[in-house]
Parts: sequence; C-alpha cells; structure tokens
Amino acid sequence: MHEFGNRKLLWSLAGAVMSFLYAPIVVMMIFSFNGTNYTTLPWGGFSFMWYEKLMTDQAMLSSVGNSVYVAVGVVLLGTLFGVPAAMALDRYRFPGKEVFRRIVLLPIVLPGVITGVALLSFYVLIGFHLSLYTIMLGQGTGLMCITITEVFARLQQTGKSQEEAAFDLGATQFEVFTKVTLPSIKTAVYGAVLITFSISFDEIAVTYLLTGRQNTLPMQLWSMLRREATPEINAIATLVVLASIVLITIGIRLSRGTSSHPPIREESV
Amino acid sequence: MLFWLAPPILWFTVFMLVPYAMLFYYSLGSVNYVTFEPGFSAANFIKVFTTQPYLGVMLKSAKLGLMTAIFTSILAYPVAFCLAFYAPAGRAKNFLYMLVIVPWWASYLVKAYAWKTILGSHGLINQLLLNTGIISHPLTFLLYNEFSVALTLTYIFTPFAILSIYSQLERIPVSLIEGARDLGATGWQIFYKIVFPISVPGILAGAVITFSLAFGDFISPALVGGPNSIMISNIVINLLGRAFDWPLAAAIGLVIIGMATALITVANHIERRLTVRL
Repeated sequence: MHEFGNRKLLWSLAGAVMSFLYAPIVVMMIFSFNGTNYTTLPWGGFSFMWYEKLMTDQAMLSSVGNSVYVAVGVVLLGTLFGVPAAMALDRYRFPGKEVFRRIVLLPIVLPGVITGVALLSFYVLIGFHLSLYTIMLGQGTGLMCITITEVFARLQQTGKSQEEAAFDLGATQFEVFTKVTLPSIKTAVYGAVLITFSISFDEIAVTYLLTGRQNTLPMQLWSMLRREATPEINAIATLVVLASIVLITIGIRLSRGTSSHPPIREESV
Repeated sequence: MLFWLAPPILWFTVFMLVPYAMLFYYSLGSVNYVTFEPGFSAANFIKVFTTQPYLGVMLKSAKLGLMTAIFTSILAYPVAFCLAFYAPAGRAKNFLYMLVIVPWWASYLVKAYAWKTILGSHGLINQLLLNTGIISHPLTFLLYNEFSVALTLTYIFTPFAILSIYSQLERIPVSLIEGARDLGATGWQIFYKIVFPISVPGILAGAVITFSLAFGDFISPALVGGPNSIMISNIVINLLGRAFDWPLAAAIGLVIIGMATALITVANHIERRLTVRL
C-alpha cells in the first residue's frame, strides 16, 4: 500500500496514548513488590511479601473463586439465550421486532446501578434471597446483549445462502443449524464468551446491589479500598492482568486462527 | 421461529420488563418512615425534575459523560488508525491489538485506585516534583475534584473507543485507498473524503457506549472524586441505602431508562444513515 498520512506523527500520538493507558498499570505492578504498607513512595525495597500474604488471604481467594463461578454462569446464560435471540433477530420477521431489539440493547447504555435496582425490587417481590445466583441472573441480563450483537453481526455477514442451499439438498432444520450455521458463528461465539467473561469478572455496578453474603473479587477489593489499601491489592491486580494476557492470547487464536472457512460476505450495493 | 424466539423473550420479560414494572409500581408510591406505601401519585417524578440535587446531578453526570465520550474519541483515533493502516498484518497487528485489550481487562477498581496513588498529595507526581524541588508544597488540585473524575473515566473507557473505531477502519479495503491515490487524491483528501466518513459510525458507537458507561459510573466519583463530584448512580445508591427512599430511586431509574431508550433510538437512526456500505 502507498503511504498515506504522516506515519511518524501518528505513531508517536498512538504511542503517547498507549503509554497513558499503561502508566497506571505499570505503577500498580511495581508497587505490588513494595516492601512497605504503602502503595506509593517511599519505596521500601523489593519484596514478595504481598504475594505471600495474598496466598493466605482466605477471603480474597474465595472471592476469586466466586467471581469465576459467577462469570462461568453468566457466559452460559449469555450463550444459551443470546444465540437464539440473535438467530431470531437475523433470520425471521415477527411483530414487535423493533421493540424486541431495543429492549435487548437497552442494558448496553443503561447504568448498571439501574439494572441492579430494577432486579432488586423484583427479587424482593418474589422473595429471592441475595446470593451468587442473584448476581449471575443480574449480570446475565446486563451482558446478554454482548453475545446477541456479536453473533447477530456474524449472521448478517455470512448471509443465508449456505443455509438455503443445505435445505435444498434435503438437510433437516437440526442438521442445518449444527452443520452450517454453528460452524460459521462459532468464532463469534468464542469472542462473545471471552468479552462476557472478562466484563462479568470485573463487574461492580449490578453486583453492588445484588450481592448477598459471598463477595465477588471486585466487591472484596472495593471493601478493602474503603478500609485500608495495602499493596496486596496491587498484587492481586497484577495476577489478574497476567491471567488476562494468557486468556486474551488464547482468545485471539480461537477467534481468528481456527475458522475453517472464511466468512462469506453477501454482495451489497 | 418460536424455538429461537421463545427463550430470549421469556428471559427479557422476566428479568427486564417485570422488574421495570416493579420500578413503576414503587415510583408511584411513597415511604412512611421505613415502610413502603403503595399509591398513585406522580410526586416522585415531579421531585426528580424540580428538587435539587436530582436534576442538577443528572445534568452534571451527562456533562461528564459527554466529556468522557469526546476525550476518549480523540485519544482513540490515532491508535485505531495506526492499528488499521500502519501495523503490519499478522503477528505485529495481533500484538498491538492485544496491547489495546489488556488495559481494558485490568481490574477497574485497581485502575481507578492507581490514579489515586499517582495524583494524590503523597502520590507519585507530587513526590517527584517535591524531590526535584520544582514545588515546595504538594499540588492539591490533581485529586478529589471533577478533573480527576474526568481523567479516570477517560482513562478507563479509551480502549472501548479504540476497538469501536478500529472495527470501522478495518473494513476499508486497501484497493479503495490505492484507487483514490491513483486518481490523484492527496493523503489529506483520502482521509477526509474516504477514511473519516467511513469511521464516523465507529466514533459514534464508541461515544454512545463511553457516554453511557461514564454517565452511570459510581466508582470514580467515590474513589477519586471530591464532595461535589457525586454522580447520579451514587445518589441512587444513597437513596436505597441510607435514605431508604425506594420510590424516589425507582422514579430516577425510570427517568434514566426513558433517556437510555431515546439515546439508543437516536443513535441507531443516525448510525444507519451514516454507515457507508463497502
């Protein structure tokens, strides 16, 4: 491709923005090794003491377990209900479709606290006790739109021609879905799973109102930040970043590398 | 069709429409000490729009949301541009893409907290300036005000804007730019006649999301904000907890649901009109 734009200027602007994005993360990582009780200067020498403390902090460790548990549930709900919703939105016409689309997209722009308040008043009505499951249902509702929009976009991209061809060749509904539709939306579903998992793992607005006795990791961090913040917080955050790098790498591989056939674009005017 | 449609419709009815109906029921009632009394009055809605601080805080949250949307778009554009046009395809591109996603995955709370440790009066910036003798007293205007809230929100939501703008720029085929060049367009003309118009829906989609996330945020005001920087979500939480005024919280919730619906409708309409088919 020919050059266009000022390559040097744009790279340096992008570099400046990227350093802005990484500065606090690097600061946070460095101070996880601080040998004092403070998350800022003075520097108390290099130490693993906060990582050791973390490994014996039962409340913190169980909150990580709770967060993973909730996130897995949210991902399952998102896939189980989100994929059918995307199929319905892309493949069929039905009365009230525009309204349905709006409702589905609403949680994207609605503050999590409002979703939380609405669900809380519903739980009070039916006498649900707050637990990890109430969080799961709340986040599931808030984050389902991710799977729906990702899968819907892929369905629009691939078009219906392959499915129609399969029908013409005598495939049943079930065969068309498992052998034609599913392979073509597979990578979009993987992408949605990854995004949903990460947002759920870090979610706090909906969770804040729906938490029962068991804390998720963000709620645990929140209560620590309100009391006394020690570099233990930096230590757990550093580990979360490292774990997420691994997950993102796997995710990028899965959603780009394994696609058995490239998406076919419908010709558009 | 029903096979696909029934489960999600059931889900959204039970977990969205019924809860919203409950909010409506609450919003029409009132609270007597700590017990809810059903009623049929618009008093709570009138209160939202006429009594301070509710409307004022909502407007301030919208202002902060708008600032966040503008700042994140400006910061995001060069990164999305380099990612789309300059990063060599393959490993380098995947790596840069990952670099954009990683800060987004790092814990939200810890990122907000990191800014506190950077901007605070014992924070890194002040320590550095004090140690080098540039200032003799710590700067206090860096933290616990609207500036630090806007900075933190912009920081946290910039990756969203980058990904959103990139998703549009990525669609532009090389042949389109080469064609324009062969026909004698300058680099600047290519940008403002081809690249920018195609990226507008991406900017808009990113801005709608960053605006909404910033508008509804309650972490940044609580961690790095001052006494005057509470936002609407903080108010709702206080109404539920300390004040135990469910009906008023429900009314605020419904007003915001209405505004959010309007926002999606308008954004959807504009996006459809501006999207360039390639």
